Amino acid sequence: MNLDVRSLRTFSRLAHSGAEKAAGSLTTLAGIDTYVNVTKVELGTKSDVENEFAERDLVSVHIGFSGGLDGHTVLAFSPESAERLVDALMPGIDATDADGELAESSLKEVANIMLGGFIDGWADYLDTTVDITTPTYVDDENDGPLDRVDAEGFENGGDDEHVLVFRNQLEAADNAIEFDLYMVPTAASIGTIVEASGDDGALPVESFAAFSEMINDGATQASEDITAMTGIDTTVEVSRLSFVPIEGVPMSLTDAVRRGVVLEFSGTPSGYIAILFDEPSAENIASSLLPGMEGDEAMRQSAIQEIGNITTSGFLDGWANALETTIDISPPKHVHDIGSAIIDPLATDLAQSQEYAFLIDSTIRTDDDEFTCDIYALPDETELRKALKQLSPAA
Amino acid sequence: MQVYTTDTPAARSGRIKVGIADFAVSSDESTLTTSGLGSCIGVALYDPETGVSGLAHAMLPEADDGSEPAKFVDTGVELLIAEMQAVGADTDRIVAKIAGGSTMFDFTSADGDGSIGDRNVAATRTTLDGFGIDVVAEDVGGSHGRSLELDSETGDLRVRSAKSGTHVL
Repeated sequence: MNLDVRSLRTFSRLAHSGAEKAAGSLTTLAGIDTYVNVTKVELGTKSDVENEFAERDLVSVHIGFSGGLDGHTVLAFSPESAERLVDALMPGIDATDADGELAESSLKEVANIMLGGFIDGWADYLDTTVDITTPTYVDDENDGPLDRVDAEGFENGGDDEHVLVFRNQLEAADNAIEFDLYMVPTAASIGTIVEASGDDGALPVESFAAFSEMINDGATQASEDITAMTGIDTTVEVSRLSFVPIEGVPMSLTDAVRRGVVLEFSGTPSGYIAILFDEPSAENIASSLLPGMEGDEAMRQSAIQEIGNITTSGFLDGWANALETTIDISPPKHVHDIGSAIIDPLATDLAQSQEYAFLIDSTIRTDDDEFTCDIYALPDETELRKALKQLSPAA
Repeated sequence: MQVYTTDTPAARSGRIKVGIADFAVSSDESTLTTSGLGSCIGVALYDPETGVSGLAHAMLPEADDGSEPAKFVDTGVELLIAEMQAVGADTDRIVAKIAGGSTMFDFTSADGDGSIGDRNVAATRTTLDGFGIDVVAEDVGGSHGRSLELDSETGDLRVRSAKSGTHVL
């Protein structure tokens, strides 16, 4: 099976217009304005997706689909968002009551309408018929979040099964309700869609999977380097490669203030990296590097720059090895600003020559949330394609 | 297909969110918001007589053929004005407030034409000038990010930044 940028664009458009239909049906049903924030085509391992569900304690409703296309759709909420949505649908109902049956059935109803609308668009595009199953509500902690997602993925010669996930971030009622609409098609169905959109110049899907593993390795190295430098025990929570309309890149961040560094890297590929901490994490980093000292702002900045340097080289060194190339890194520039505004100039610079971006994002954190570090890398699309070719099994 | 342009109906919640490469119009006293302007530019238009207001968030100065119009200052502002006119606004009365267009990083890709932020600000002035619309207030340039809220009732534009808090244009 091969994938190319053109079919990824088709995927992205279909997913976005499907999500807009789904958002529109919620607006009509519940009378609350619902927006599609970002649509991403993500490539990761099944366990990445499962970790995210577990980490965020997500409540979800699952609907399978089969026929012309096979796979699974999931509407996932944080428990707070689920509660607010139920309250908007049925004011006065206690969503946390012992059995919660009413809350459950209203979320199932929402999912049925939204996911049904989402799938219809894909069926129309492929001129086929797709049947959907009845919704299943999942909040059982003993249940693996993807246990019911029987969509088989594809392997990359390794142990980890990769899946292509279409993920739409939606929000309603002034950001009070946030949720994600996921679609996980089977490997065979991805093939069906790629075929329908033409696969000129396509690369084997395994090379995307190999790249995704390279990102994982880079994030793991960066996490180990941070731990070695600060003495704070960190792990990689999530690490993924996604394909996003360029304007969706800054929109995947909130306007919360972040501190960190931005760097340029050059080679094959070249691009930008931002390493961002929320403010408490930046404080923790600075004090662990300046133990027992009342550091002034300049010292704090240089501590953040130093950790940015370490993290970047940990993250990128493995790429250079895997791609048999050298990647040069510019000196880190300290930033302290609105998160989405930090990423905006990076995406805008690439927007001069590309409409979509491959966004790499990894989160490194401690178990107790004392410290969270987000790494965003935005490689130049054409150069990344070259790099992916290098990783093709035939290369 | 306009991937990120919302043909936003009157919002029941009274707030309309404008994404990146997006614009929206209000004729019913809603608040239009957009966040995360770095080198991007926010163009807030207001017709005091009809109360029709509009907000655009553009990424780059000039559109190429066949590109997504809301992404660019020239085509995005033109579309925004057309949509405002369709609900009763008049370019003779419309005034503009602009914010954003900063230069946060000194990228190697920036050539002699100046930063994207500076070029966005220049393109905004040229485009508005072409419609005979005056810029009555602005907070542009610098090296920091901004988020905006346009109050459609008064035409006030609230500009928020990380370091200096919120001020009203």
